[in-house]
Amino acid sequence: MTDQAIPEYARLFMQGLQEADVSLVAALPESLLKSIYRQCEHDEDIRYVLVSNEADLPGIIAGTYLAGKRGLMIMENSGIRQCCEAVGRFAFCHGMPLVMVMAYRGAFGERNWWGHNHSQIMGNLLETLRIPCKFVRRLDEIKPSIAKAFRHADASQWPVALVMTDECTEVPGYEKT
Amino acid sequence: MKRLDVIKVVARFVTGEDLLTTSIGGTWDDWWNYKPANNTFFMGILGSVVPTALGLALSLPHRRVIALETDGSALMNTGIMCTLGAQRPSNLTVVVLDNEIYENIGGPATLTAKNTDLAKMAEGAGCLNCKTLRNLNDFSAAFEQALTDDSMAYLVSKINPGGFQWELKDRKPTDGIEDKYNFLRYMEKLEGKVIHPGAIQN
Repeated sequence: MTDQAIPEYARLFMQGLQEADVSLVAALPESLLKSIYRQCEHDEDIRYVLVSNEADLPGIIAGTYLAGKRGLMIMENSGIRQCCEAVGRFAFCHGMPLVMVMAYRGAFGERNWWGHNHSQIMGNLLETLRIPCKFVRRLDEIKPSIAKAFRHADASQWPVALVMTDECTEVPGYEKT
Repeated sequence: MKRLDVIKVVARFVTGEDLLTTSIGGTWDDWWNYKPANNTFFMGILGSVVPTALGLALSLPHRRVIALETDGSALMNTGIMCTLGAQRPSNLTVVVLDNEIYENIGGPATLTAKNTDLAKMAEGAGCLNCKTLRNLNDFSAAFEQALTDDSMAYLVSKINPGGFQWELKDRKPTDGIEDKYNFLRYMEKLEGKVIHPGAIQN
């Protein structure tokens, strides 16, 4: 993909990863952040780890942290349900910092009936897990949010979530019509 | 094979330069008494032992990483085999202590007691050097080779039910927070870098 073909949100996100010295990204791809996955796959400075189940992600990121490196996990917001047990145990048993990035499926105006439950459940679930969460809505928030997420997780020794929405996702089909 | 005998074999070959993750259960106390250093992250999370070892292995390719896994934990998260099969980290060895029961909760059978073959599953997922070992000599040879060749391995060690019962004074006394910091501070010394500056953080 040429630089010009990369959506601005993905370009800024990749810059944010570079500036935060992120060396590993583990993800279960979805459509709202698809350009980020493509970029990670081809980035020479990032080890991209594709998983088949979001429950694999917290362990991979915990191992990366304990190795003294910076890793980040990306998934759709439905993924927090799938990896809830692993995240809960890492947080409550071990006080493990995990930086999670989620695509916000079910945003206001969502056309897909199956996507609404993702946003309806996500907030309460993060609250139950006591995980601080920041919505990243504008392009100029992307890089500072990544930097602050690592600082917050490192200092608190606890997971933190960035929820990507509005300008910070691929343009969903329902917004084009 | 007895679980403790397998642990002793592992202890014979690993050094303080190697890194380990372990699964919750009787393995904790066994390995606590045989670990060469604080080079082990004792985990209270079934299903995340191998993913955590994978994160370590990919991030530190100069270190040998061993996941001391159990059948119950492996069965909880078989999808990680596919990721292992895609990544194939040459410095990672998975050892599954497979007693075919959930021993800590009284001994109901796990699915490896039925028709599930973890080594064949791992092989089908793309993992390399997947073997089921049924006696100590075979396990010892396979484990030594796994640590010395430049390739990943997925070793399923079929062990007898019934582990060694440690006296209270010899059981692992630490909780999950202390376990993390023990490992993290050891890693800082081993790798010569600060991972968590804690109280001195700006």
